[in-house]
Amino acid sequence: MAENAVELHNVTKCFSKVIANDDVSLEIGKGEVVALLGENGAGKSTIMKILYGLYSMDEGRIVIDGKEVRIKSPKDAISHGIAMIQQHFSLVFPHTVTENIVLGNVHGWLDLKEAKEKVGMLAKKYGFPVPLDARVGDLAVGVQQKVEILKALYLDARILIMDEPTAVLTPQEAESLVSFIRSYAADGNSVVFITHKMKEVMESADRIIVMRNGRITGNVLKSETNERELARMMMGEELEVESEEEPIDVSKLPVSIEVVDARKKNRDGIAVLDGVSFSVHKGEIFGIAGVSGNGQDEICEAISGNMKLDGGKIIFEGKDITNESVRKRIEEGIGYVPVDRYKDGMVMEMTLSENMMLKSSYSEKWVKNGFIDKKGIDEYTDEVIRDYQVKATGHSDIAHNLSGGNQQKVVLAREIDAGRHAIIFNQPTRGLDIGAVDRIHRAIKGEKRKGKAVVVVSTELTEIFELSDRICVMYRGKIMGIYNRGELTTGRIGLLMAGVEDGKA
Amino acid sequence: MGKREIPSSVKRGYLDALLFNIGAIIIGLLISAMMILFLKQSPITVFSTALGRIFSDKYTLGEVLVKATPLVFTSLAFAFTYKANLFNIGAQGQFYAGCISAVSISLALGGKVPTALLIVIVLVASFLSGALVGALIGIAKAKFGANEFLVSMMSTYVVQAVMDFLLRTVLRETKAEYIQTDPIVREAFLPGIVPGTRIHLGTLIAILSAIAIWVLLYKTSLGFRIRAVGRNSDASEHSGINSKLIFVVAFLISGGLAGMAGLTEINGVQHMLLQNFNSSIGSFGIGIAILANGHPIGIIFSSILFGFLNVIGTTMGRIPGLNIPASIIDLIQGIVMTSVIISYFIRESVGRRREKRMLKSGEVEA
Repeated sequence: MAENAVELHNVTKCFSKVIANDDVSLEIGKGEVVALLGENGAGKSTIMKILYGLYSMDEGRIVIDGKEVRIKSPKDAISHGIAMIQQHFSLVFPHTVTENIVLGNVHGWLDLKEAKEKVGMLAKKYGFPVPLDARVGDLAVGVQQKVEILKALYLDARILIMDEPTAVLTPQEAESLVSFIRSYAADGNSVVFITHKMKEVMESADRIIVMRNGRITGNVLKSETNERELARMMMGEELEVESEEEPIDVSKLPVSIEVVDARKKNRDGIAVLDGVSFSVHKGEIFGIAGVSGNGQDEICEAISGNMKLDGGKIIFEGKDITNESVRKRIEEGIGYVPVDRYKDGMVMEMTLSENMMLKSSYSEKWVKNGFIDKKGIDEYTDEVIRDYQVKATGHSDIAHNLSGGNQQKVVLAREIDAGRHAIIFNQPTRGLDIGAVDRIHRAIKGEKRKGKAVVVVSTELTEIFELSDRICVMYRGKIMGIYNRGELTTGRIGLLMAGVEDGKA
Repeated sequence: MGKREIPSSVKRGYLDALLFNIGAIIIGLLISAMMILFLKQSPITVFSTALGRIFSDKYTLGEVLVKATPLVFTSLAFAFTYKANLFNIGAQGQFYAGCISAVSISLALGGKVPTALLIVIVLVASFLSGALVGALIGIAKAKFGANEFLVSMMSTYVVQAVMDFLLRTVLRETKAEYIQTDPIVREAFLPGIVPGTRIHLGTLIAILSAIAIWVLLYKTSLGFRIRAVGRNSDASEHSGINSKLIFVVAFLISGGLAGMAGLTEINGVQHMLLQNFNSSIGSFGIGIAILANGHPIGIIFSSILFGFLNVIGTTMGRIPGLNIPASIIDLIQGIVMTSVIISYFIRESVGRRREKRMLKSGEVEA
């Protein structure tokens, strides 16, 4: 390998309760494209934000071009030729492209004309057709990303870090990004891109660094590895498809949840739900597969009542609940495990008991005449801790002191209890270790056997295949098709997830 | 597993709060003492004389509680919205709204209805008028996404202007000499509860209110919802709690609490309303609430502390031959308040660093 542009030695970073990076060492060669691969929360962004000066490290050293440096702020990082493109762009929307690019590098007299020329040359060199006088807010997301890249190039960056660069791009845009990365690296510059998509890694990286739980679990050349090995490094365990359960004929089961032509446009006017219809029967698990961000979260929020639809209907147990409040739907017996438990599922600063009663503060269950039955809820919480094997000292533990898996068990227990008739699980095992995943899968299957209607949203195919009786695939707010288990192969579902009609192309 | 002890980190939190607050108060007093040096007096003599006078005189000692009473209400007002992660810094205005009701009703009905009934009416009215001002702020926040910090701050000036207008017009005293109301009749006074002092029934009402707020916040489902929304409004919304309604309710109760100080100050102490009446209890309420970590019971004690500082200042100003200006009160209270607030931030950062150390040594690992 050529000489190293950047070396990180033994970097450790703790956030108040979590070790985000634990003794991480890595190096990035000159002219090299490095992919930083890992699940959400593996510590990929954190280590790069440390290199870019957004976070300070607790321990460790940074060496650039063989010299040890201190990076205290992005300004220091930029002066060492490092640029980082965040997942959420840092652009000033009402300003023009040129103004945005020179922002942060203006001193005294501002010669926009000269700046524009320089930017124009850079854009030409890398084949970016960017309108220099357009307002950034009017541009498509893919073009905005190019503006971000130009901003980095304008600052003469030699090391470009990109956080999930393709998450917002169309396949064509992603392709042109990859070809840019190639030509940029060919000039002797280095690129690090953070991703959790295996496919991208195999397409564009020279070397792959895999992270898991804040540690580096793999550092391999692309030519010497394969997707299976990478997946093992990422997950920590060999992927394994669970043995089949008895297939069931859902048509004989009564319908519980019916979604009829659900439509929703987001703030930018893009359809996130584009005429989605399906029904979920009592006693079945309905799996929703798809690349994340194709409308799965929206469909969950529409059923739980947290998002109002622009059109269409939600029918539950024969009643139209489209305009009912969240509270009413909870009373009807719909449980919902949201994808982001930190934000939507728990109050992290409260105790486990308090989190257990979060959804029942209006019901008579734990409240008598407006007063909380503390003893009752505490005892119930201790029961949950026992039954679900939550690693906690007791009901008075503060939620954020628990590990992610144990927090998820608490949310799950609450929703299984609250969802008397139906439960929606959005990515129920994201970021959890294998043992916890297994226990949660068993709990979900148990609820199905009790005759509840269960919806499971997952981006993990193994999870979808293991749990679902029927599988639907979502792509750009539409349903690509609904299939019985066994009708779909991994290859076919992959094509459906990529938007290929019928998965037969 | 199965242990029922309070986790050590929680215990340490309480201990920290206590140690840091006491430290901050001592440092604040030391700095204030140094200010006395500028007056070319010995701080030791001044403090010991003042303390001697307070503790040897029942009336002066009683003044501590009299001064603490309205502070309990204004700091409860701040603490209550704080639990819903909202900032009500308009307690001064809500207090004035309570004063306007208290004085108007006492002037109109004083002597005409039995004292007990009148006090109940004034209590309810002063609560409701403060609550009205508070609820308007809450509605502005819930409906239009207005910044409650700014709206509550500016609302004080509005209420103050209304109060001034009323004092110059309909409420103005009969002889029309000063900008103030007539005194209310003796039958409208809050009865004294400790002979030989000015301690009145309002002090008891304040303590009971603090306890009631503690019960409301920690024992009832409404309080639970308020705290849940304060900590995480997204998760609360997902749990069927209407967080906007909670904003309004929290501001309503908060404003009502500040309004109740109108009862204790008009009917208990001043017996009339005048311009710039008790003009700093709103801002002191904020500091006292922070000193007490937002805990209603803690607020009782920290209010007493600030009542005490006020009385020390007054007493110093009255020591014959020393020529200490009366404004020493503001100086002492201000310096102690500032050091308490600074210590709060130091405490937070010390706590964070300790958590990190514990995390590294693996103490927290489950």
